[in-house]
Amino acid sequence: MPSPRSALLGVGIGLALADSSIVTLALPDILRSFDVGITSVSWTLTSYNLAFCLLAVPAAYTASRSPRGAFAGGAVLFALASLACGLATSFDFLVGARAVQAAGGVLVVTAALDLLSATTGSDVGAAQTWVAAGVVGAALGPAVGGVLTELLGWESIFLFQVPVALAILVALRGVRVYRLPAPAGRPRVPPNAALFFLSGGLVAALFLIVLLLVDGWGMSPAAAGVVVTVMPLVAIVAARRAPESASPAIRMASGVVFVAGGLLALAVLPRSSWVWTVPPQVLIGAGIGLALVGLTQRAVAGKAAQVVHGGWTLAARHGGVVLGLLLLAPVLTSALDHNEDLAVRAGTAAVLDSEIRPLDKLGLAQDVIEQVDAAGSEQRPDIPAAFEDRPDTEIYRSLLATLEEELDSAITNAFQGPFLLASALALLALVPVWVGRGEPL
Amino acid sequence: MTGRRPLLVAIAAVAAVVLPYVALGGAAYEPTPVRDPCGQRAWEEVDGLEETLEQIALTGFSRAACELGVTREELVLALRSETALDRFAAKHDLEREEVDRAVRDGLTGTIDDAQDAGDLPRLLAPLVRRAVEELPPYLLLEAVQRLGSLIP
Repeated sequence: MPSPRSALLGVGIGLALADSSIVTLALPDILRSFDVGITSVSWTLTSYNLAFCLLAVPAAYTASRSPRGAFAGGAVLFALASLACGLATSFDFLVGARAVQAAGGVLVVTAALDLLSATTGSDVGAAQTWVAAGVVGAALGPAVGGVLTELLGWESIFLFQVPVALAILVALRGVRVYRLPAPAGRPRVPPNAALFFLSGGLVAALFLIVLLLVDGWGMSPAAAGVVVTVMPLVAIVAARRAPESASPAIRMASGVVFVAGGLLALAVLPRSSWVWTVPPQVLIGAGIGLALVGLTQRAVAGKAAQVVHGGWTLAARHGGVVLGLLLLAPVLTSALDHNEDLAVRAGTAAVLDSEIRPLDKLGLAQDVIEQVDAAGSEQRPDIPAAFEDRPDTEIYRSLLATLEEELDSAITNAFQGPFLLASALALLALVPVWVGRGEPL
Repeated sequence: MTGRRPLLVAIAAVAAVVLPYVALGGAAYEPTPVRDPCGQRAWEEVDGLEETLEQIALTGFSRAACELGVTREELVLALRSETALDRFAAKHDLEREEVDRAVRDGLTGTIDDAQDAGDLPRLLAPLVRRAVEELPPYLLLEAVQRLGSLIP
């Protein structure tokens, strides 16, 4: 059972790390709110992760010199930036505020590692709590974000974080950090390189699944939040039950195979329903538990100036996320455009060849196209709206079902390329895992 | 061997999910095929004026699409607005006049067929023919529907 201070520090770590994905379920709402495309809206995530990546090592050095100051300054900055995000009136302002939020978040996360060491009296125990808090943050992040988006709107995600970020300051009361200055030494390249590639692939698990569920298949954000919680929950179980008999390299390689395989399975979903995403999510969750946790522990454990090495792992992970976002978003946009053309043509054929009242065919075809135009190229067209003023007969219901099915297949297939790319990116992590297999802790 | 067991378990678990997904058609995507417009040229028997107008429009568009080397569906989608029609012509490297002429020729031909088959009332034929000759193509769909709305 962690002490109240450890728990509060864990909340801070979880909050800041969850923020790299907490808005994932809000992306469709943000997209509509500011009338931007998928590639643009992904910058809500990219700016946070890019700033996190670039500032992780400098923040770690700052935190190693003054953990209390870095933690307090980071929490206040995070709270203020969260407030700014929640009140943002333009997309550019939101993206900028997200970068400031990351600057605060990375100070909190890096400083928390030293504060945990001071609280628990053990660097190893601190590293374990630090990694676990990040996984728990990821577990709760999408679900909390989804529920808040649905109940109160996407802005509430950020406003909700303001009091939480200020509350964690209580953790600083009475804590003293005594640390002998020690040279940080060079970062461990293999585990950090593996974290980079694995995180790049995991973007698809955090970002694309949600877009597919909410914008592709029309699920509510809260329901999608519950669905994607499968992954981090399995990750926690897998991390606890990792087979001790196998070497760390084999455990990490197994984790990479699980993640890459889960992403591959998402690329070949046979039906357009959330149920089919569960087995791939279980695979990915198991992979996160084995590989992400193992690699992070390997990169920081046993090193002097642990906080600096923690900073390197954050830089590697968030750098990978940025790479994934930059690679996957354009591929998805292009595939959606292409498949929408095919679906619209096939849908028009279905309407023109249907058994509905002859002259209504032309009218219905036009009404459907109006919905496609109104939705733009990056949102799901509201096909049922085209049927609202038409007879509620079996012929019309069957035609609507055909059109919805055609659209579902086209959208699901558009995600195939990005998921395959993400799978290949994750699989690249095997190279540094193999290179570093003999490296002592 | 025991040391590598987690890796083998991972590979087996991935195969246990991916292979059934592929077997169920997960890797394939085939949009419902659209018909060859060149195979929909002949006038078929109709029942009533509404079906006559529908066949004049759809068979006429099929003939135009065949002439232009595109699908009937693409042409119908392009006929929703002048902008869409311009975009369609540019995409297929066609002149706008070429598209307009193909649409008029296609429709005029089916009006002739409808008259020959005795399916288009003598009084209505000149009105329909005039509409096809005078209206811009992107207004034809609306015109056909308005005509249809007059049918009880």
